[in-house]
Amino acid sequence: MDNSTKNILICGIGGQGVVLAGRIISFAAFESGMDIKTSEVHGMSQRGGSVSTHIRFGKKIFSPLIPEKSATAILSFDIYETLRYTGSFANKDTIIVSSNDGKTPAWTSKTKNDTIGNNFTDTYSAASLLKDNFKSLILLNDKLIAENIGNIKVSNIILIGALSVFTDIEENIWLKTIEKNVPEKTVDLNIKAFLKGRASL
Amino acid sequence: MHNKTLDFSKLLLTGNEAIALGGAKAGVYTAVGYPGTPSSEILPYLSKLNSGAIVNWSINEKTALEIAAGTSIGRKRAMFTTKHVGLNVASDPLMTLALTGVRGGLVVVTADDPGMHSSQNEQDNRLYSKFAKIPMFEPSDSQECLDFTSKAFDVSEEFDTPVILRTVTRISHSRSIAVFSGKFPFDGERKNTENTYKKDIEKFVMVPVYARKRHKIALERLKRLIDFSNGSGLNTVEYNDKEFGIITSGISYQYAKEIAPFASFLKLSFSYPLPDLLIKDFVKNVKNIVIIEELEPFIQNETAALGIELKGKEYFPRDGELNPDIVLSGLKKAGFFKDKKTADKEKNAGKNVRISLPNPLPPRFPALCSGCPHTSVFYALKKLKVPVMGDIGCYTLGALPPLNAMDSCISMGLAFGAAQGLSVTKSSHKKTVGIMGDSTFFHSGITSLIDAKYNNAKFTAIILDNSTTAMTGGQDHPGTGKNLSFNQSVSCKIDIKKIIEGIGIDEIYAVDPYDYNETLKTLKKALDSNNLNVVITNRPCVLYPKKIDTGKKFKISDGCTGCDLCMQTGCPSIRLPHGKTGAAKPVPFIDSSCIGCSICRDICIFNFIKEI
Repeated sequence: MDNSTKNILICGIGGQGVVLAGRIISFAAFESGMDIKTSEVHGMSQRGGSVSTHIRFGKKIFSPLIPEKSATAILSFDIYETLRYTGSFANKDTIIVSSNDGKTPAWTSKTKNDTIGNNFTDTYSAASLLKDNFKSLILLNDKLIAENIGNIKVSNIILIGALSVFTDIEENIWLKTIEKNVPEKTVDLNIKAFLKGRASL
Repeated sequence: MHNKTLDFSKLLLTGNEAIALGGAKAGVYTAVGYPGTPSSEILPYLSKLNSGAIVNWSINEKTALEIAAGTSIGRKRAMFTTKHVGLNVASDPLMTLALTGVRGGLVVVTADDPGMHSSQNEQDNRLYSKFAKIPMFEPSDSQECLDFTSKAFDVSEEFDTPVILRTVTRISHSRSIAVFSGKFPFDGERKNTENTYKKDIEKFVMVPVYARKRHKIALERLKRLIDFSNGSGLNTVEYNDKEFGIITSGISYQYAKEIAPFASFLKLSFSYPLPDLLIKDFVKNVKNIVIIEELEPFIQNETAALGIELKGKEYFPRDGELNPDIVLSGLKKAGFFKDKKTADKEKNAGKNVRISLPNPLPPRFPALCSGCPHTSVFYALKKLKVPVMGDIGCYTLGALPPLNAMDSCISMGLAFGAAQGLSVTKSSHKKTVGIMGDSTFFHSGITSLIDAKYNNAKFTAIILDNSTTAMTGGQDHPGTGKNLSFNQSVSCKIDIKKIIEGIGIDEIYAVDPYDYNETLKTLKKALDSNNLNVVITNRPCVLYPKKIDTGKKFKISDGCTGCDLCMQTGCPSIRLPHGKTGAAKPVPFIDSSCIGCSICRDICIFNFIKEI
């Protein structure tokens, strides 16, 4: 495995499982024998706010936070958050693995004059902006894949599966880590979701 | 993991988990605290380690530290955990424990929140160590969290003083590798029923005649601690390029090492009192020195007091948290990179991506959850246009748009006191409301409600009882009747209504907040009455202790004109379709995250929201 530092930024909306995804990826990297540091945010922003987890692994890691423009990969559960975080952390070579869906609660859709209208960048334009700027871009219809598997809640594991292809971490380490970190009853479902995501590229 | 002998070799731990493990390694007997981000995970993890320690949530931080003090007086090791602002609550016992000293080791863990990820201020609790004249450790990763926690107990006993272990969010909530080996030592000790209690009034009764003596002892102790700071090996010097030197502590050390690995370092792990000789030596050997520290110029001022003027805050902000990029820009200003390439940053030059958006991204204010029982109360309060003194918890989100129904959030337990104080000004024609959650009521609302009754105040107190401490992750409190201790748990459930009856307040209303119309009616009734009265809501949190889904599903039926009444709940499940729909006003829909609380159905006066 090469010794250069890998920086993975995970982002999404509070409640989407960013913290769990961070656990799985960081323990998988840890099991592979690398030095590793992570940083996550708990508390208020977990309630629907914009949240991120930083994961860094390599030969020797000091800062748990990823320096600007230095993400090796961004894993995102919401396409708007992908755009938000690429602004600070991505460079042209950053690998982007993102949901193609984005969430806007109704009330935030109001304009300044207090009339309702959806004046945000729509998800279609968001996708084309990303396509224009990043050569390694994976946009997945994770919700649909998850529905086909039978549970919408595993969409984040599907995206981890897609990201896993870009790492040197072996498949059996991923599977073992997932097994250890999800509720016992959902192990099979999550493994299925991971493999589906991994095979989706 | 529920083994008493553990031979963990290499672990990937958060700082909080490592602190818990360090406590277990030191044989901590009692560990107590009140939940608060970013400190909340220390006690649950310690409880799970099942080291034999008594691990409990306390009603508030002051009580917790007092319990820890008692254990220390009983010659056993005690640990108290808190977030930065919680130490204000416990500062009364802390300041005098600094005089009495300890018997069993007493460690105060304060987890600060620079950047205010989940706090109402970003005070720098390093100042408490100076204020109380007690020593302080500042770990910079999980290994140090483990080692220093354990070491802090030894220092506490050796120097007869409480010891502060100070972390920040990026230490407490960062994972890094920690190596642990050994046993949790004191398993047999709990069975020890030998009478070892000893009275020592000159040490523990702080009446003036004894306190004056103890103050002198504390000052003398500080001198010995400076020697320890110089000679213990905890504060370390790394000489590299002697042109450039950095004095730093805690998380700032990691950012500085990341950005300027070529520099020489003086790393302060035992950061109060400062190692004067080490600093003087470093200054003699290195040409250009800067101090890198988050928040206050603590090291800088202490160094200046030694007669050594070094720069620090001239290059780095005094507010917010640091990160590698802020450290880089500060060091550039300080001339550290005149002839040097900076690590990754320049390497990536030319790879910048600039995306210009046609329209803004949706803002993401934190919001109450789908089905949160607080929603209907704030929706009703907004409609009633009353002045609302608020408090600290998930329900603080009721202050944000679209609910906008809370007018203050200052300190924990403030609401009822502030409501009393505001109501007497008659600055509003409407009756004043004070609002707080159940855990906050236990923490420090009870006293102010007694004061309100005592002083004949007239306001409406609302207690949002969701049977948990929700914002910090669902911890238990006296109202839940459960606590942490893995095997010693014998806790009692305390009834909020009985407490209020006991105070002598007769007008108490209980209401189900999932019934919006009844909630509105009850609030109106309470506000119409000129008495001090209390409204208690009684729906559990939708996340803790277990996720709730009523199983009901709702949809917005055809005919809806997009009037936006339901959207004003701020419910994350009510959404607008993407893109232009052609309709004058887009019609919202309810997505699959709805848990069926039915509040929006009651709110839609046109009856377009129906159960399916």
